Amino acid sequence: MNGTVVVTGAARGIGRAIAERLAANPSFTVIGVDLAPELALAESILPVQVDLTTKKGVAAVRKAVEAAGLPLLGLVNNAGITRDSRLVNMSDENFQAVLDVNLGAAYRLSTALAGLLTDGASIVNIASRAYLGNFGQFNYSMSKGGLVGLTRAMALDLAPHARVNAVAPGLIGTEMAMAIPEDVLEKMISAIPLDRMGNPDEIANVVWFLLTPLSSYITGHVLVVGGGRSLS
Amino acid sequence: MSIHWAEPVSDEWEKVNAELERAFAMSRASAQAEDSFVYVVHHDDLLGRRGAGNAMVANGLLSAARTAAIEGSRKGWTANVIAYDDDADREEVERWANRMLHSEGVTGELIRIGSSHIGKALP
Repeated sequence: MNGTVVVTGAARGIGRAIAERLAANPSFTVIGVDLAPELALAESILPVQVDLTTKKGVAAVRKAVEAAGLPLLGLVNNAGITRDSRLVNMSDENFQAVLDVNLGAAYRLSTALAGLLTDGASIVNIASRAYLGNFGQFNYSMSKGGLVGLTRAMALDLAPHARVNAVAPGLIGTEMAMAIPEDVLEKMISAIPLDRMGNPDEIANVVWFLLTPLSSYITGHVLVVGGGRSLS
Repeated sequence: MSIHWAEPVSDEWEKVNAELERAFAMSRASAQAEDSFVYVVHHDDLLGRRGAGNAMVANGLLSAARTAAIEGSRKGWTANVIAYDDDADREEVERWANRMLHSEGVTGELIRIGSSHIGKALP
């Protein structure tokens, strides 16, 4: 079936890899959403530059989906930010900013688009392995845990019409990871049984699986993709 | 030492946000005082059975407790979560919460009171 898939946070990193992976299949019309002005994507991706923490931004995405005139096959809630610090030092502003983008925007957009999903559609929320806990990320961890909760509630709410799952990536080689000091990064990698960072394409492959009928009997699931880090 | 009972919320984002913000304020104050804390949530909310708003709060708190536990383990305070079901007695929940507040060796844990979680997904 031909149709539209919306990917948020599509300008860079994991979101970009997901958008490009999907757009390579002619069945999908991909709407790439991002706040970043450098939202220059592959020609086949329809760019929508908006702030998803605003009602106006969410409405603009819904309008773009309707304008595409195709069944809505999927939504990938990927947009996310970090503002790390230990809990004792965490500011109200940094707590709120992370919650607004990582959880509030995903919730608002999912709610706004749920009524447009076609039968058999799939939502994939990009959580993080940090939902299991991660030093210095109280706000991020809470937001990603909230996203797991949203995944479970929407899976129950939308069944059997549509499926909702989450992916929890571990350390992935994006700009976010490259900003980590080299010695810290080396220590983090040494704790990963597969002995390396993942790459964005490896997350895109899992999202592909969860978006398509390959995973037609899976809903409400959180798939950790972290090279075995949760075991070590 | 603090026990934070998650308040039921509607599916409005503003209510969810306010509840998580309330938990953050308590948690930060506890961490600054190097005091242990416990979140109390309803088990059904961990599985998303009582709406998106409550699910976001309960699972957000569980993840936050796990992260706080990592940070607290370096300073000697703990963070844990209790999930109860409709058959659980409130006094029993409070007894467990107090037990966890005073147990130095238990942190980052989810204790489920009642039996409705048996055979269900691990949050």
